[in-house]
Amino acid sequence: MSESPSEASGSSSDASGGPRASPDATAPTDPAGGSGTAARDRLASLTARIDGTLASVVFASLAVVGVGGLIQVSFGTYSMTVFEAWRAVVDPAVWSHPGLLGEFFLGETLGGLLAAQFGWATEVELAHPTLIVWTVRLPRVLVAVLVGANLAISGAIFQAVTRNELASPYILGVSSGAGLAILLTLVVFSGMSAFLPIFAALGGTVAFLIVYAIAWKGGTSPVRLVLAGVIVGTVFQSLQTGLFFFADDLGVVQSAIAWTTGSLTGTDWEQVRLALPWTVIALGFALAGSRQLNVLLLGERTARSLGMSVERVRFALSGVAILAAAAAIAVAGIVGFVGLIVPHVVRTLVGSDYRRLVVGCAFVGPALLVGADVGARLAMDPVQIPVGIVTGLVGGPYFLYLMRRQDDLGDL
Amino acid sequence: MSGTHSDADTDEANGASADANGASADANGATDGDADALHAEDLALGYPSTDEPVVETDRVDVPAGEVTALVGPNGSGKSTLLKAMAKQLDPDAGRVVLDGENVANYGTKEFAREVGLLSQENDAPGSATVEDLVYHGRYPHRSFFGAVTGADDAAVDRAIDLAGIDHLRDAPVSDLSGGQKQLAWIAMTLAQDTDVLLLDEPTTYLDLHHQLRVMEVVRELNEEADVTVAVVLHDIAQAARFADNIIAMRDGEVYDWGPPRTVVTEALLADVFDVVASVDADAPDGPTVHPHHPVR
Repeated sequence: MSESPSEASGSSSDASGGPRASPDATAPTDPAGGSGTAARDRLASLTARIDGTLASVVFASLAVVGVGGLIQVSFGTYSMTVFEAWRAVVDPAVWSHPGLLGEFFLGETLGGLLAAQFGWATEVELAHPTLIVWTVRLPRVLVAVLVGANLAISGAIFQAVTRNELASPYILGVSSGAGLAILLTLVVFSGMSAFLPIFAALGGTVAFLIVYAIAWKGGTSPVRLVLAGVIVGTVFQSLQTGLFFFADDLGVVQSAIAWTTGSLTGTDWEQVRLALPWTVIALGFALAGSRQLNVLLLGERTARSLGMSVERVRFALSGVAILAAAAAIAVAGIVGFVGLIVPHVVRTLVGSDYRRLVVGCAFVGPALLVGADVGARLAMDPVQIPVGIVTGLVGGPYFLYLMRRQDDLGDL
Repeated sequence: MSGTHSDADTDEANGASADANGASADANGATDGDADALHAEDLALGYPSTDEPVVETDRVDVPAGEVTALVGPNGSGKSTLLKAMAKQLDPDAGRVVLDGENVANYGTKEFAREVGLLSQENDAPGSATVEDLVYHGRYPHRSFFGAVTGADDAAVDRAIDLAGIDHLRDAPVSDLSGGQKQLAWIAMTLAQDTDVLLLDEPTTYLDLHHQLRVMEVVRELNEEADVTVAVVLHDIAQAARFADNIIAMRDGEVYDWGPPRTVVTEALLADVFDVVASVDADAPDGPTVHPHHPVR
């Protein structure tokens, strides 16, 4: 299926030393001596190679996040060199004051409480570059990291749940539900726009539950779930588009577009704090559930005959994916393509085993989004475009490339 | 297996056909006290899309420690019956009993530790290796977040060994030939380490070599680990050769039941399979079937 050429050649070179059987020579009696250890050795080299691939994927992603992040924090109205930016990021004035870090990551209330408890100083004199980097520019990079990780993991889970490689976090109605909630908040209940992130996440969750209820008929199936997602998506999308007509000024429309295409403009520590706990929880559950995802990929019948309560596991895993998607939507709106492409890229690189795939997604997702946000913020300077537009521009051609290269795209 | 089936023999007296009962009594006497591992009573099976039941049977027995083959033409309900016995299909009426307990009362994981099922068509995702696949067979023995134990490793090694695919252990399943794939899937089911194994047409679409390999593994498992096997087979000649018992199905009902030598007859081939054939019932390897032409 998603067998990369390099992998195929790797396994044949691996086997060259051992008693490699040609595809049809399955002699029931192997020469007993040494074949067991040879198999073990092969296994060891295989694991090493795949873990090596995963390690390089992780490393490369970290590098992209690092470089992208540095570019992000160095450019802007107050420009500094990359070196200055780096110095600001690692400024000991920040890192040696846990009270300050606590306030950034936990908020004034909780962080302040903690600082008071331990007698940490929170009022620290910071150099100008450090102040700009830490209070204005760094949080945006961190939000990009969290959103990227959430969307990638969410997409990976939905691809297993629906057994469809073209599934994304938004396949089960989440984006249209969130979009409708965003439009409703901005246009109809404009007094409550402070709660917009929460409403967006809730809207997505409600839409997902409606999709599940529609698909349920003594159980669900991947196909019925996807169809129900299309149905709910179509209706909600129409309502959402309809609401645009009732928007009375351009500001509201622009704000709505920014939310429905996904944007990191103006994100702050508050967004980091909003998304971080849910990201940690979703990531934890995704890692813990990776074996369940693998078994689910064997097909519903096999999973059930192995004793899996397929419906329960499927719903629980979808819940984890929705949690991740909702956390991303609440801080950045509906960023497209990340959840679709990243699991693909990672699968081509590390294989379809979810124990590795989830880890890979948690790193490649942030890399893509941090990279895309550099483009979104700086490409058309001083105008900032929504990051979702950049991910779409990158994602479309990449999918075209995949489609040309892979014959059996789609099935999982 | 427990010895709580004192009433099983009396139950069996209500069975489908008289000669079948006699034969099964003999067979049971020859092994041990257990009458059956799995049996079905007054079963009516259907699918949501069908009004009429697809399968209706009074009594179906899968004797403990034996290999039972389900045979019949396409659409005779043999796979449906197997699904019900594997707790994959809830009966409209009647019940399936495992070790004296209605299978509906088993938890999903608990049941999967007792009964293994290999479905007809399977596909493994992308890069999973044979070993990865076989480890999935340990699913019912592991807790939700449970790590791999020594028992899991041992069961996987044993299963791979039994299926004779040691040399394919690290090969991606998607690279294997059809026959090798089937052996890998069988190894996964073996790793489940169950007392009962249900196989749905495990030899269909395989070349002759792998057909025989598969049936040999099944035989070995049955003889060495005393695993009870029920297997749907397409090929009546194969069933006659490998099975201790044959359940012949026609139009959703059990046509006949018993050891191959009594069940596989020219009359059966004409009635059930619509084939004119001659049967050599005294051949040393079990009755051999020579099909001549379809019944006109």
